[in-house]
Amino acid sequence: MRDLKNLQYFEDLLRLSNNRLVVQAKNQGRIFAAYMCENTPEPLLNLGNCFGVRLTAPNTGSTDIATYYMSSFMCEAARALLERSIEGGYNYADCLIAPDGCTMINRCAENIELLGTIKGNERFFVEHHETPLKADDNGVDLLVLQCKNHILTPLHEKYGIDISDTAIRHSVGIHNQVCELITAIGQYRKELLPRITGYEFAVITMATYVCPKDMLIDKLQETLDELATREPDSKPYRARLLVTGSELDDIEFIRIIEECGALVCADRFCFGSTPGREVIELTDDEDALTQVCRHYVYKCQCPRQMNMEKVYGRKENINRLALEYKADGIIYNQIKFCDPWAYERAMGTAMLRDDFGFPVLSLERPYNSHSSLGQIRTRIQAFIESIEIKKIQEEHNND
Amino acid sequence: MTEPMINPVNRPGDKNLGKLFNGGKVMKRREWRGFKDTMYDFFRWLKIWGILINVSMGKGFVKALFRYRWLANYLAVPHMIDKNTLGQRGETLRITRTAIDFVVKEMAQIVKDNNRADIRCGNDKKLSNRSVLCDENGMTAFMMGFPTLNSAQREVVTLFSANLINQNCATHYIDVAQQYGIPGDVCPMPETELGISIEDDFAVFGKCAVQINTTCDGSMMGNGLIAKRLEREYHIPTFQLAAPIRFKNDDVQAYAAEDIKKAIAFVEEHTGAKWDWDYYFECAKRVNITTRNRWEWLDVNSTDYPQFVGSVFCLYNDTNYMGNCGKSAVFPTIDAKIMQLVKKGLENKTMLGQQYRHRCLVWGVQSHYLFDLLYWMINCWGVVPLSDMLSMVIDREIAEVDTPENREQAYYDMAYLTENMIMRNHTHGGYEALLDEMWKYCEMLGADMIMLWEHIACKALTGMHGIFEEQARERGIHLVWVQHDLCDPRIANRQSIRDQFNLYMRTVMREEPLDPSLEVIDDNNMW
Repeated sequence: MRDLKNLQYFEDLLRLSNNRLVVQAKNQGRIFAAYMCENTPEPLLNLGNCFGVRLTAPNTGSTDIATYYMSSFMCEAARALLERSIEGGYNYADCLIAPDGCTMINRCAENIELLGTIKGNERFFVEHHETPLKADDNGVDLLVLQCKNHILTPLHEKYGIDISDTAIRHSVGIHNQVCELITAIGQYRKELLPRITGYEFAVITMATYVCPKDMLIDKLQETLDELATREPDSKPYRARLLVTGSELDDIEFIRIIEECGALVCADRFCFGSTPGREVIELTDDEDALTQVCRHYVYKCQCPRQMNMEKVYGRKENINRLALEYKADGIIYNQIKFCDPWAYERAMGTAMLRDDFGFPVLSLERPYNSHSSLGQIRTRIQAFIESIEIKKIQEEHNND
Repeated sequence: MTEPMINPVNRPGDKNLGKLFNGGKVMKRREWRGFKDTMYDFFRWLKIWGILINVSMGKGFVKALFRYRWLANYLAVPHMIDKNTLGQRGETLRITRTAIDFVVKEMAQIVKDNNRADIRCGNDKKLSNRSVLCDENGMTAFMMGFPTLNSAQREVVTLFSANLINQNCATHYIDVAQQYGIPGDVCPMPETELGISIEDDFAVFGKCAVQINTTCDGSMMGNGLIAKRLEREYHIPTFQLAAPIRFKNDDVQAYAAEDIKKAIAFVEEHTGAKWDWDYYFECAKRVNITTRNRWEWLDVNSTDYPQFVGSVFCLYNDTNYMGNCGKSAVFPTIDAKIMQLVKKGLENKTMLGQQYRHRCLVWGVQSHYLFDLLYWMINCWGVVPLSDMLSMVIDREIAEVDTPENREQAYYDMAYLTENMIMRNHTHGGYEALLDEMWKYCEMLGADMIMLWEHIACKALTGMHGIFEEQARERGIHLVWVQHDLCDPRIANRQSIRDQFNLYMRTVMREEPLDPSLEVIDDNNMW
């Protein structure tokens, strides 16, 4: 296929955590709210003059210093973020909003706080908020209170950010614009000969997490328009795969999969399009904050939600997505040393294989896929081959 | 501590305790503690056998013995107690024996009920129908108002206590879980629980089950698979009780209390039992008695003559708060007996060993297969473990008088107990709970040393490794890291754990052991 006009632009935004749009926004005097987890409601960080960016540590190499502080058994994402912060990579942040979602991200944020590694301005603050453990109305009430106490009030008091209902609705409006564009772009992956690759889609989606959203809308719209007339490759992919699992901000992982001849036709992971880029429906009969929080509580696909409806529901959701996007197989990935996803991956692999009949590759991966490129590629190649063999056998049986 | 405290009293009996270890499954012989103490100890040892025989007479025991690989571990209970009385004499020995014997009795009752109610063994439907399966890693506070129900702790006897008795009891189940796909870097405790469930080696009974997200991410996540088996294969409905992580904050308490209400409603719905406020406040009074006693013991431990210390102190608190939560009327009487002995010990200035060189706070997650290390520290190096992280449970009393306001407060109190589950109340709740409180207790107990159990797979603890070191340096406190893998001795065996302590004492402290025969002991093969 012909290259997407803006692909390079989006890729460049992912190379640095203080990318050109972040720098531009800061130069405009805007407030940069750094956050660390999908359980933090994003629209609340994009109020008024503020913009939220989820922290990543692109091109991570050594994490030696962070390993000293947190030990080698710690999630590599948590260590990479701490290392990057020690290196001064997030000094442009005006605050850090950290959820006590999983223990390791929490410890990462606490190390950042105690070591004072983000040398922000004098008003810089760190807030830790609780996130609900179950999808129920009690959880919604909790999240509302947490957002008020640990996001909205500090932002208002420290930076004078407008936290009114109107401001939240405006922010949700921009958020939804981005979500609609991403969803529309992602729909093209459903085609049998899709006009967008999984890698391209991952790059574009990732960009929406690490940039001020309002500054991306034009490029996203342009890309969507371009796709409408883009000619797909005539050669079919060896397999259509759904990628699910833990924190994944390393787009190289998607590239490696597609270099093996597969198409990543659907995604369900942190930094992915579901549920992170699903539209937040607002009505006028209830305050916007509660509705935003309800969306985050009920749409959440994070394994830290432990009620059994959610435990079963997460696998059913993947089954639904796999059917919708016509996936031949599923890759369940887990970043190394992540406890929640270690269990979720094992259980999900078994259930999607046994209860829903999908071929599943269960994969532990490093934060930076390139540090284990050969092993990852070998496993993916073998998985794709096994799907192909299965297809051949099925055709043979049908004959 | 600048100058060592020498015990002026001649301690009769064995001086070189290392000679009791000869590489066998149990010690070579019983420790000689002088005639009176040896006889006392031997009599109590026989009594333990009596408890075990009583368990074996229980309904379903024989079937359970052939069905469950973990049950045979309980034959080694007397040996486990012997390990925890190493070098003890006088009041110290009696305190330990009083506490641990009662813990054993409680566990024996759980094993007995387990066998009796299990559909594969005793199949006592009546008992099963009034049983609620409670999470091993949680307080049973939500059961404090159900006098007729059995808070069944099948996971405790299958893993927790079994692992204290036999160091290798978990390894098979860890392998099962890893074969299923769980990585090797997660905490082996929930991993073992999961392995037991995957292999279908838990007793099956109960009207319903309540799981809790405490202790940690691993524990919470293992629950999902366990619940799946319970719900889909055995049709036992499960409820997941949420204890907020940042439980030190006021703005999470309403959430926690509301979920306690839901858990109670769930139990009522599935068992038909009704919440009894009289019984609740009766239990609450007993929880407060326990708390007051524990504070008093800690006060004694902050003097020059600590009395109730070590792993048994921790196990006793563990049983008293977690499983009991005020439900047993017997605990206060045991508490009173221990209190009497503690006061007598303090009055007599009884010392736990021949010499005290350092006053030590034990922090972190203790190794199950070397729970008795704390007594070894006293005997080998003269380091007194004043208290441990697991014994630092709650720091306020709960409402105990039945009034309309207190009935509402009770939900908050039960949430408070649940949030402050042993161990979890320090490994979670922000760094203040782990770091700041450690320094607070260090000062309160007058410790000059911290022994920090570093459970390598406990991410909540290891995630603060560097900060621990920096803050210890700033304060000039000796911080001894002792790494282990909780219930998998294949990762760090007992001697390799002791060696870390030996190394610190020799190289940093430049001290010689009090009892050199204990420095390296051949107990790798022991239960």
